[in-house]
Amino acid sequence: MPDRAISYEELTPGYKFPSTKFELSASFVSKYLKAVDIKGDGFVPPLAITACAIAATTKSVPIPPDTIAIHASQELEFFKIVPIGTTIECHIGVLQKISRGKMNMLILELEIFNKDKEKVQSGKATIALPT
Amino acid sequence: MLTEIQEGKALNSVVKHITQDNINLYADASGDFNPIHIDESFATRTPLGGTIAHGMLSLAYVSEMMTSAFGKNWLSEGKLRAKFKEPARPGDTLTIDGKINCIDQKDDVSYANCTFNCRNQKGEMIVTGEAIVKFSSDKK
Repeated sequence: MPDRAISYEELTPGYKFPSTKFELSASFVSKYLKAVDIKGDGFVPPLAITACAIAATTKSVPIPPDTIAIHASQELEFFKIVPIGTTIECHIGVLQKISRGKMNMLILELEIFNKDKEKVQSGKATIALPT
Repeated sequence: MLTEIQEGKALNSVVKHITQDNINLYADASGDFNPIHIDESFATRTPLGGTIAHGMLSLAYVSEMMTSAFGKNWLSEGKLRAKFKEPARPGDTLTIDGKINCIDQKDDVSYANCTFNCRNQKGEMIVTGEAIVKFSSDKK
């Protein structure tokens, strides 16, 4: 569940958000494929998995008032094909926090595991928070 | 899938039209309901001046191009680095293209190093980046 207690000021490099679990069900994959207008190939599209993790991230990050969150960059590495029906666990942490004038940036690290604790994906997301 | 993986080879491009309906569907599927994507009245009051597509939606099209070129090799051992340069907006038509810049070999494994670009109908760069796909040398 998102950690609502922490404030943006309290986020520091090394902070780990509570882990989140998602079931990548057939209905989720079907909904995702319709949204991105892509034909399925029997597996969970890797970016569908990232989408869940990013959504969890944006819900978890306490955004300062009068600020919008913009996805500035993304790095990803895929390690395994993920079958439909898999339950994944997302671990997200703060790698860096940058403040330049009216621009705040958060660099988040994400790691995604299957139920056997095998890493299926990892990455870094840079979120720009202009004020 | 590509029949030949060789340096300089262009990947089959992907063209997608973005609508607010797509964006809303994506928000619903991903669970990312940031109002900058789905709330027109909120978004018009921000410096962005209107709703924008999720960056991950544009990136999904890049992944579609890579899957089409490399199949399961991309799904199981792909790697990418992307920068979101400008937002994609409802009404935009995005063209995603890429090519294999070079192939590195290490032991019996080859790595296709690709670059990709996603531009809108005005030619503005929306997403740019690099992707690496591992494949066995005998597929080359």
